Amino acid sequence: MSQRDRRAWQAFVQLADTLVADFDIIDFLDTLAQVSIDVLGVSAAGILLTDHTGSLNLVAASSPQARMVEQSELQHAEGPSLDAYRSGAVVQCPDPSTARERWASFAPAAQAAGYAAVYALPMRLREEAIGAMNLFSAEPGVLDEETTGLGQALADVATIGILHERAFRRHEIVTEQLQKALNSRIVIEQAKGVLAERLHLPIEEAFTVLREYARDHNLKLADVADALARGELHIRLPADEPYRRLRRGDEFSELPPTVCTRRAGHPSRGASRPENITARISRMTSSTRSTARWSFAAQG
Amino acid sequence: MAQGSVAVWLSIARLAGQEQATVAVEHAVSACAQAVEAGAALSMSLASGVAEPVYATDARSDGLEELQVTLGQGPCLDALTGDGPVLAGDLTAAQALARWPQFAPAALHGGAAALFAVPVQSGAARVGVLSLYRDRAGQLTPAELSLTLLYADAILMLALDERGGLAPGAVELVGRGFTGRRAEIHQASGMISVQLQVSITEALVALRARAFAESRPIADVAADVVDRRLSFAPRGVTIPRQMPRKPHR
Repeated sequence: MSQRDRRAWQAFVQLADTLVADFDIIDFLDTLAQVSIDVLGVSAAGILLTDHTGSLNLVAASSPQARMVEQSELQHAEGPSLDAYRSGAVVQCPDPSTARERWASFAPAAQAAGYAAVYALPMRLREEAIGAMNLFSAEPGVLDEETTGLGQALADVATIGILHERAFRRHEIVTEQLQKALNSRIVIEQAKGVLAERLHLPIEEAFTVLREYARDHNLKLADVADALARGELHIRLPADEPYRRLRRGDEFSELPPTVCTRRAGHPSRGASRPENITARISRMTSSTRSTARWSFAAQG
Repeated sequence: MAQGSVAVWLSIARLAGQEQATVAVEHAVSACAQAVEAGAALSMSLASGVAEPVYATDARSDGLEELQVTLGQGPCLDALTGDGPVLAGDLTAAQALARWPQFAPAALHGGAAALFAVPVQSGAARVGVLSLYRDRAGQLTPAELSLTLLYADAILMLALDERGGLAPGAVELVGRGFTGRRAEIHQASGMISVQLQVSITEALVALRARAFAESRPIADVAADVVDRRLSFAPRGVTIPRQMPRKPHR
């Protein structure tokens, strides 16, 4: 079995495992994003799903840059994922600079984020379209047939799994989870605003501060965001250390460290909420340490 | 706007029209009750975190809402403190009895076999909970669930505008929901909450009120806040900085 075949096989096994176990849609989509990156040889992935209003929401993104591009698509209501979602066909954008006529605002956003190519795969089963998966590459060029087929197969497995849950198995549980997840994402946006204003930082840098705080204190991002948004948590930057700016081109995964969040004895949602704590953020001492913590998928 | 959302707002407007009143929160609650054939009640969260029943379509719904507050347990309270809907399709089920040991039997005795509690919220901006009561067991269908969530969204907008003292019908001008550029609206809410030193809920009220006052789309006002062209901080008040002054970029 070739290396790639083995990785593809492992990817399907991993997806299937997540599907048949206790189904948590956000965990599942984060897994799908990570698996797609590994197997398809792209840099990042983003997944959009429709909510109860029929509009697309960003539900998973493997990096801050991917998230920014996806949000730009939603904001301006144009881009490959939207086209893929509406048409049910794969949409390839091998060179954003030549696509400015088709997508006036998406193309510059993708380039600004450092992506040389974007590929969107529809998430649809027969007549029911539920979203799209976007793949981002640092290299320009068209995705070959084999890779596209494999990517679509992954997206199809995910679509079938989600629709099955929705239609046949405890749709109310899926709804409960999805609503919680969507609300949690909103809290994160609100928390970014709170932190950006308190620390006088741009929004994305505030998010980096938030993420690093959660990781350094072994807390769930959602819990830290919640505490910040409620005014129960105050984060200070060390006065003597200039904050490390997010460099353009810094590509790092923002997928939650699954190993950490599933560890037995991990603080429950209520317990992890700190009350009136003023905390210092420890500065990352080396980038290799950060990639080692975040790129957990590469280890296995 | 999505199809389902249009139908929801039409039903609310129709109900208000029948009473010859301008659209208000109670019309949204009643319209939801009619749409899914259930009793409905709305409890609002007070600053202290306590829930206060505010509207109910019938005596039974009102009574069951009060009962949960009195007992300190129930799907409505769980939805208030959690982040998502609590959909109890069968109050006779073992999980329901285990989860709400005093409330579940009392609710059954009071004639309710199913209870669906949906938070009326946007992130940390929590206004309250919409509860639906049915005398027969069974989950809401996916379509009914979708409708209920849309009604909860409508109630959120109406409640925020009422809180902001906006004229009845302001929702038509300010917007019936968060359409594109939602992320910016939420980020702006966070920033405004620090600028005004208020909760996220109050910040969202202020944001909508500003959009109404200036007759501008809420997304545009939010963009101004995020890009720091607009601050809600009272003039002459210095927000304490949490880090040493940096050179202006």
